[in-house]
Amino acid sequence: MATMPREQIFEKVQQALVEALSVEEDEVTEEATLTGDLQAESIDILDIVFRLEKSFSIKISQEELTPRDVLSNADYVTDRRLNDVGLKALRERIPHADWSKFEQDPDIDKILDVFTVGTIVSFVESKLAESN
Amino acid sequence: MKFVLIDRIVELEPGQRVVGCKALSLAEEYLADHFPAFPVLPGVLLMEAMVQASAWVVRQHLDFAPSLVVLKEARNITYKSFLAPGQLLTVESECKSLEPGESSFVAHGLVGGKEIVKSRLTLRHLSLADQDPELADLDERLRNEQRKLFKLLWQGRPSGVAADAPVG
Amino acid sequence: MRWIWFDRFEEFVPGERAVGIKNVSLAEDHLHDHFPGFPIQPASLMIEGMAQTAGILVGHARGFKEKVILAKVKRATFHQLVRPGQQIRFVANIESIGESAATTHGEIRCGDDLVGEVDLVFSHIDQNMSGLEFPEENFVFTEEFMALLDTYRQKSTERVKL
Repeated sequence: MATMPREQIFEKVQQALVEALSVEEDEVTEEATLTGDLQAESIDILDIVFRLEKSFSIKISQEELTPRDVLSNADYVTDRRLNDVGLKALRERIPHADWSKFEQDPDIDKILDVFTVGTIVSFVESKLAESN
Repeated sequence: MKFVLIDRIVELEPGQRVVGCKALSLAEEYLADHFPAFPVLPGVLLMEAMVQASAWVVRQHLDFAPSLVVLKEARNITYKSFLAPGQLLTVESECKSLEPGESSFVAHGLVGGKEIVKSRLTLRHLSLADQDPELADLDERLRNEQRKLFKLLWQGRPSGVAADAPVG
Repeated sequence: MRWIWFDRFEEFVPGERAVGIKNVSLAEDHLHDHFPGFPIQPASLMIEGMAQTAGILVGHARGFKEKVILAKVKRATFHQLVRPGQQIRFVANIESIGESAATTHGEIRCGDDLVGEVDLVFSHIDQNMSGLEFPEENFVFTEEFMALLDTYRQKSTERVKL
């Protein structure tokens, strides 16, 4: 299968987000954060995952996009904050995201703030590369 | 039973915006089924409350000309939490467009200032006489019923009682 | 008012598709208030009929282990009014189903007419709404709802002769 250029992936991701979140196309930029700028709720993330699976014909497991297993691991979390071991596990689990800001305040309730449209595009890009 | 999901209109900016409230009581029978061990307002009735609040903007602005205002489309109704008996729901709905035959809204439902549901709604406005001129009398009856209900919800508080909404 | 918004299953293909039938009757109180003088079935209660049809299909697909609740209405579009005396069908298809959620696509039909389309997201709330308090037991699939599934098993009783 030929590789899909990043712009084309972005366009399809953009379309999924416009439909799932009732936002305008121009709001969906690479830098826009899902829960902050686009006001996505956790159920929206599930909706988006299903839409991406359909649109790109890929299979995405829950753990790949939202690191629930990391967040629910008692060894990784102290007082609802990720400790150093947890942060390391998180970086390994989701290498596409920029964790530098989160590391300054690793409150697990704020973890979704890290995910931008660009994170999703990179994630899909790596999934497509895997299946090639 | 009554199918009224807005108890009171708290604010109404003509053609622009409405704020309404709905107090949920365990006396409401359907809560016995939804659910016996966990009574909460069914999600679709949260939407119904948003539709009814929005419809008052349409009726008031068009001076009750359409006899029926119904849901044409709801998009991305997202539920975040539940409404339990004893709680007060506040519905805020902002009008995005309002034509004679159709309108669109962005609506939110809040409990204690916290959002529990949001949605985009499109409403259709109809009159039966458009289908059949013979039904004009039915239109008039529907309009009168809606005018009465509107009066009850918007001005129906006993004199001397503050117009403030109860605190959520 | 009871909270059961379809009458029986006409079709039930586990994990795939279900068709629920609903007779709209003037014996139902809410129609007299929606609207006085011109009863029509509220859109909200048609979405609920679809959610109940599809919700049981989704719950059944995973052995009723999870508490399946309606978490999002992606889209509900209506093309036609539904009035007392009409019979509508909720045709629900599972689009995708996973550990923590499922999506369904649905059509509401009245005879040959397409009355509406309803696309839903269901959440298995134990896994998604950890911040909220709710009972341990599966409070969603009550005896009343399970009895609806039983209507399909009892299909032969529609022609019991006396």
